[in-house]
Amino acid sequence: MKRNILTFGIGMALALSIGWIAFPHVLYVRQQQPLEFRHKTHSEKSGLTQCDSCHVVGADGEFSGIAGVETCAGCHADKVGTTKAEATLVDLYVKPSRQTPWLVYSRQPANVWFSHAIHARRAGLACQDCHGSMGETDQARVYEQDRISGYSRDISGHSMSGLFRAPHDGMKMSDCEDCHHRRNVQVGCLGCHK
Amino acid sequence: MKLSRRDLLFGGAGALAGLVLTPVPWKLLSDVSIWTQNFPWIPQPAHGPVDTKFSTCTLCEGGCGLRVRMAAGCPVGVAGVRNHPLTRGALCPLAFAAHQLNWHPRRLREVRHNGRPASWSEAQAAFEKACGEGPIGIVDGRPGRAASTVFTAFTQKHHGSYQSVLSVESQALAPYADWSGLPVSSLGYDLENARTIVSFGAPVLDGWGTPGRFTRLWSEHAGGAADPQLRLIHIDPSFSRTAARAWRWVPICEGSEAQLAAGVARVLLEERLVSAKGPMPRLTLEDAAAQTDLSTEAIRDLAHTMVEHQPVVVIAADGNPSIAALNVLLGAVGAPGGIVRKRADSHPQASAAPAPSSLRALLVDSTVPWEFVTPASTEVFRFAAWDGGGESAGWLLPAPGFQEELTDVPTPSTSAREMYAVAANLVTPPAEIQSATQFLRQIDATLPEVEKVIHARCEEIFHAREGTVYGEHSVDVATVDTAAHLEEQLRQGAVWLGDSPVSAKFRCELKEWPTENRVSQGTSWASTWIPPVFPALATKLYQESTLRELPAWRLA
Repeated sequence: MKRNILTFGIGMALALSIGWIAFPHVLYVRQQQPLEFRHKTHSEKSGLTQCDSCHVVGADGEFSGIAGVETCAGCHADKVGTTKAEATLVDLYVKPSRQTPWLVYSRQPANVWFSHAIHARRAGLACQDCHGSMGETDQARVYEQDRISGYSRDISGHSMSGLFRAPHDGMKMSDCEDCHHRRNVQVGCLGCHK
Repeated sequence: MKLSRRDLLFGGAGALAGLVLTPVPWKLLSDVSIWTQNFPWIPQPAHGPVDTKFSTCTLCEGGCGLRVRMAAGCPVGVAGVRNHPLTRGALCPLAFAAHQLNWHPRRLREVRHNGRPASWSEAQAAFEKACGEGPIGIVDGRPGRAASTVFTAFTQKHHGSYQSVLSVESQALAPYADWSGLPVSSLGYDLENARTIVSFGAPVLDGWGTPGRFTRLWSEHAGGAADPQLRLIHIDPSFSRTAARAWRWVPICEGSEAQLAAGVARVLLEERLVSAKGPMPRLTLEDAAAQTDLSTEAIRDLAHTMVEHQPVVVIAADGNPSIAALNVLLGAVGAPGGIVRKRADSHPQASAAPAPSSLRALLVDSTVPWEFVTPASTEVFRFAAWDGGGESAGWLLPAPGFQEELTDVPTPSTSAREMYAVAANLVTPPAEIQSATQFLRQIDATLPEVEKVIHARCEEIFHAREGTVYGEHSVDVATVDTAAHLEEQLRQGAVWLGDSPVSAKFRCELKEWPTENRVSQGTSWASTWIPPVFPALATKLYQESTLRELPAWRLA
């Protein structure tokens, strides 16, 4: 009897450790950003304290997304330091006017229509409500791509259990629905889908 | 320690139990479902600048305003236009999903002849040969457009016949046209000023006329109130969607609408509930009651209720003259809140119809519904954007789909006011697509161009200096500086609406109560066909969707 319980327990422990520890490592491909970008340095040293200093929502409501290389060129037309990242930025992207191939943590499927203008201006949401403390990071996070779905881990959320999740963790449709429900916002299918 | 079979079984059971407590099965299920959404053969919306364009729907003759969301020059979403004077933001479910129709699996992308692939040059040669051998006919599903002008010009030059297919709503107006001598297209319903609407089977709350026009009116002026400002009495054998939402539903025997109309008319005349003196139907009230499965009291009560709240207008589901005659008795013809006359009639009239069997060939425009039956002995050149008829005989010619063609939208048949809108080609059609007008112009280059006809129509509206243009802001035509400016506004999705209907009465001579089921007008072989009111699937979607605005009482 004791032996049966022991073997059952061993099997269970093995599955639990594979499922909780090994599985996330296998599921997500870890990729480095093309440049080591520091939000914190930019806000502290360059005075770019507001997110919309670089991530602009235009007068017509169009969101610029990640700043283009022309924005970087405003300060980095020539090398401002001796780091390898600085040299890469200037030599590989700024001087040839080539866009940096950033890996976008919050990239949504093509059938999703998301308006930053509506959420930030009309609803008054702070950037941190969805993106967390991205603006305070001291180094570019590793981009984790789901091998099966192809989307970033930021979409499904970092908590594998779904428990004890930070408010901004996850950008799936269910997360949008939860937020809309909490704020009593009613939108039909076409409100968010193309 | 030796591992036994029992150890393996218990270990496996433990592993399975443990696996359920890990994210593995749940995460895999979620990821695989997302992965299936991104199969490479599933079309993906283009990435690019997003903007909004305004246009007019061409899926039916309703002329609803469209707000089209474009991404990288490709339509990715459709919604209604809130300040559109007719629809006020409402759309049918087909229009809401119309941008996806161009990718429909049954989209026609090649010329077919008797079910086999063919080329445009072969189709053109066959049509030219047919034109030389005998009379040809052109069937137009939506008369009054610029394309209709091209069709009439072609048939006049080539001794052919131009025929238009009347919508079911137009056919319901045919008796008044027959009795007054006015063309059907010059008549409409002044629903906005009516206080009682009696529908004899017309699905007024379910896809009749311009979607949104009556549903908006109903939700604003009735919406389930016990004694609403606007009463809708619906006569229908079945408990339809309109019956369910109407102020009163009168169930009768299938096909006994004309008998009920005669019974009601008898009560109206005998009890002098109306000022008209006749004509008196031959059918007695008792006979009407027996044939409709209603009691004489119920018919009497219906007649009294109809005249309680005036103006009253009766809407028939088809061209049955008995039901139209009720409007004559009620004084609803040529009166506010009834059947009114639009200011002008610009639709080209159908030519004298030769027997269909004498036609050498028949060109059927893409606006003609698939259910339209063409004569078996005639060579058919059928234009269509989507294959709705399977392996039909004759030529099947791929036509432009949703918003792929510059076209104009004339007044819908039920409208009380003249309307004109332009549906711009928001999307470039595939190279293998041609419209019927392009096809005809390749045969005869002297035919007018659609663009020039639209331009001429805009100039006509501009010089008449009447009506209002409803765009971002509503502007009187009299204040528009040039015809080009007016055309530009219309091409950008604005809609021109004429002034109020002609207030002067027009007379409908009715010497005796009609006994026939149809009137003499509209008896051409093309127009006697009764088209479906609304595709069955679309009606189902419309009923079950939440796209339509709920009445106030349900929102409360």
